[in-house]
Amino acid sequence: MRMKSSPKLRPNGWDALVAGAVLALAVLCGTLAWAGGGDSGALTAVVSVDGEVTERVALSGLTAPEERTYTHNGYTLHVTFTAESAQVTASDCPTQDCVHTGAITRSGQSIVCLPGRIVIQMEGGGDSDGPDLVIG
Amino acid sequence: MRRFGALLAAGLLAGTLAACGGTETQEMESAQAFAMDTVMVLTAGGGETGTALQTAQEELYRLDRELSRTREDSAVSRLNSAPAGTAEDVGEELYGLIAQALTFSAATDGAFDITLAPVSSAWGFTEDAYRVPGQEELDALLTHVGADHVHLEGGTSVSLDQGTQIDLGAIAKGYASDVVASIYQENGVAHGTVYLGGNTWVCGGNPEGDPWRIGVQDPARAEEAEAYTGILRMTDGFAVTSGGYQRYFEEDGVTYHHIIDPATGRPAESGLTSVTVVADGTVGNGTMCDALSTALFVMGEERALDFWRSGAYYFDLILVTEDGRLLVTDGIADQFQPDETAGYAYEVVS
Repeated sequence: MRMKSSPKLRPNGWDALVAGAVLALAVLCGTLAWAGGGDSGALTAVVSVDGEVTERVALSGLTAPEERTYTHNGYTLHVTFTAESAQVTASDCPTQDCVHTGAITRSGQSIVCLPGRIVIQMEGGGDSDGPDLVIG
Repeated sequence: MRRFGALLAAGLLAGTLAACGGTETQEMESAQAFAMDTVMVLTAGGGETGTALQTAQEELYRLDRELSRTREDSAVSRLNSAPAGTAEDVGEELYGLIAQALTFSAATDGAFDITLAPVSSAWGFTEDAYRVPGQEELDALLTHVGADHVHLEGGTSVSLDQGTQIDLGAIAKGYASDVVASIYQENGVAHGTVYLGGNTWVCGGNPEGDPWRIGVQDPARAEEAEAYTGILRMTDGFAVTSGGYQRYFEEDGVTYHHIIDPATGRPAESGLTSVTVVADGTVGNGTMCDALSTALFVMGEERALDFWRSGAYYFDLILVTEDGRLLVTDGIADQFQPDETAGYAYEVVS
């Protein structure tokens, strides 16, 4: 972050002590922090309805495209799962944002149907070069 | 004394770090909330994760109920429907948020304005009933727009002038992100991401010890799932994006987006297609980033960069211009990796 600086400030021994203390504590905090996790496990499409996970579809186990339907809040989504992807192929929701999103293929990607309150999110599938989250 | 202060600050910083990594963590958990007209996704690992996520969910739904302009029973709706000039007790929280909004309005010479509510409604953005209002209609509505039509009274009460209504949509999600950030810190969450529509807060880096990777949507390819202007790497901080592509309609071949210029009452034509405001993870910066992302979109490139250079607030910027340039301020240039396939001319601004 951009910070303003003052020419009156000059580092000295006390500052070094403070910096050392902070660094040591930061390392300690880092050591105590998470040591596992990641995108381990097979590529899985996690389906949530109104914030609750209702289904986990293990994509790597699919040998042929599979269509499933999810209905909530008065709207029905037709979702096609393949071994590599998930895609909303049709929906009767007014915005059609879920359909326009297209196929998702990597961990962290998601399809959201806001009117239907249905979310399909990808997990697993090994390390991904993609972002952890997207803004905009 | 100054050195003691520095040591105290070091201790407080250590405390902050501990709150974002001081407890042995097990695994990341997630939660969703459908509130403020968007889906909100929270992830958290370490500390009292379950408590943090549940409390955050409850707070998000509470804020949705209180700050919504379309819910008849919200505190905002009660204020908007109160007789003109009558002081309405809105409580300390809403009073404080409105006071902040007025401060941002003053700081940006009115580019940020919560009293645009009637104008936004005239365009149909509030009720999803899009239309193009005539200039005469807009001019009449604009007489009720402006921070001077909102009056703060006594610490918890607010009154509005005749015809004035407020909409906190351009600041509410930012405030909500601050609230969730506080909850995470109170519960010692070590690693977390908070996604509230275009508002993001991240904490503690990812579980592998690296900064979180945040993709910034390419406004020119808004409907593509993997179309970024670049990747922002951030361990702790807020990032908020505003862009005309997020909500718009077309009529007679013309596109009208939802970010209204208070000076004209029409969608802002500032030469920018996306504004991302980035700040450190200090609670309070979420509200600031949200307000400024809207204001700076309205102000346009030159005024936005002048505002950034003024040092009035500590933040950094990622700007996308209509003429195909991607501008990043130098405070985050080393954290941002532009996507060369997006085709923008990349510039670091100082």
